[in-house]
Amino acid sequence: MDVFDLDVRRHVYFSIVASGRAPNAEEAADALGCDRPAVEASFRRLHDAHALVLFPSSTEIWMANPFCFAPTPHSVEAGGRTWTGACAWDALGIPGALHGDGRVRSECACCGEPVTLEVQDGALVEGAELLVHILVPAREWWSDIGFT
Amino acid sequence: MVYLRSEEHVQRWLDTNGWEPGATITAVQTNELARTWSWSRLDPGWHPRTIEESQAILGGLDLTGEFWSLR
Repeated sequence: MDVFDLDVRRHVYFSIVASGRAPNAEEAADALGCDRPAVEASFRRLHDAHALVLFPSSTEIWMANPFCFAPTPHSVEAGGRTWTGACAWDALGIPGALHGDGRVRSECACCGEPVTLEVQDGALVEGAELLVHILVPAREWWSDIGFT
Repeated sequence: MVYLRSEEHVQRWLDTNGWEPGATITAVQTNELARTWSWSRLDPGWHPRTIEESQAILGGLDLTGEFWSLR
């Protein structure tokens, strides 16, 4: 991964934390002082390297894991904002990435009953009785990162 | 990767959808995994982990065997 792509990725993540949303290619190009096609090409390389996930046939950011920018059942309060986690794992990854406490509000995939998980000082202090199921073996996670 | 309230709910969810079972871990394990996996995402000097580094994180949480193999 070259220096430009690392700069673009760093800008994306810092923008997410600052604004609560992912920048588009034009916004990133303006901030980085380069042109939009260069950023779009970088977004595609970062997607191919699994450092970002773009929506299909688009240069809009779908995920900058653990942050997700499409609706899911996993809502996360952390760092003074409400975020969306792509999956059960990423929802708990958001407090980790922000190095803080967090509360996940989600649902049981079987019965739809609301579930809450709370992280304090890195430990799960609510929701410890819950289980997480992973359907797809690890080597195939990136075959379809939206379905794991 | 989804939350489920019990082993019974895991099995019912798999049966309802006609899916083969993958791996079930506890929310406590998931929190440890997620925290370790995501901890450096916002570091200014972040660089991609190697497969070996990622595998070591899984192994450090006793997530081993064929299902958890990244290769």
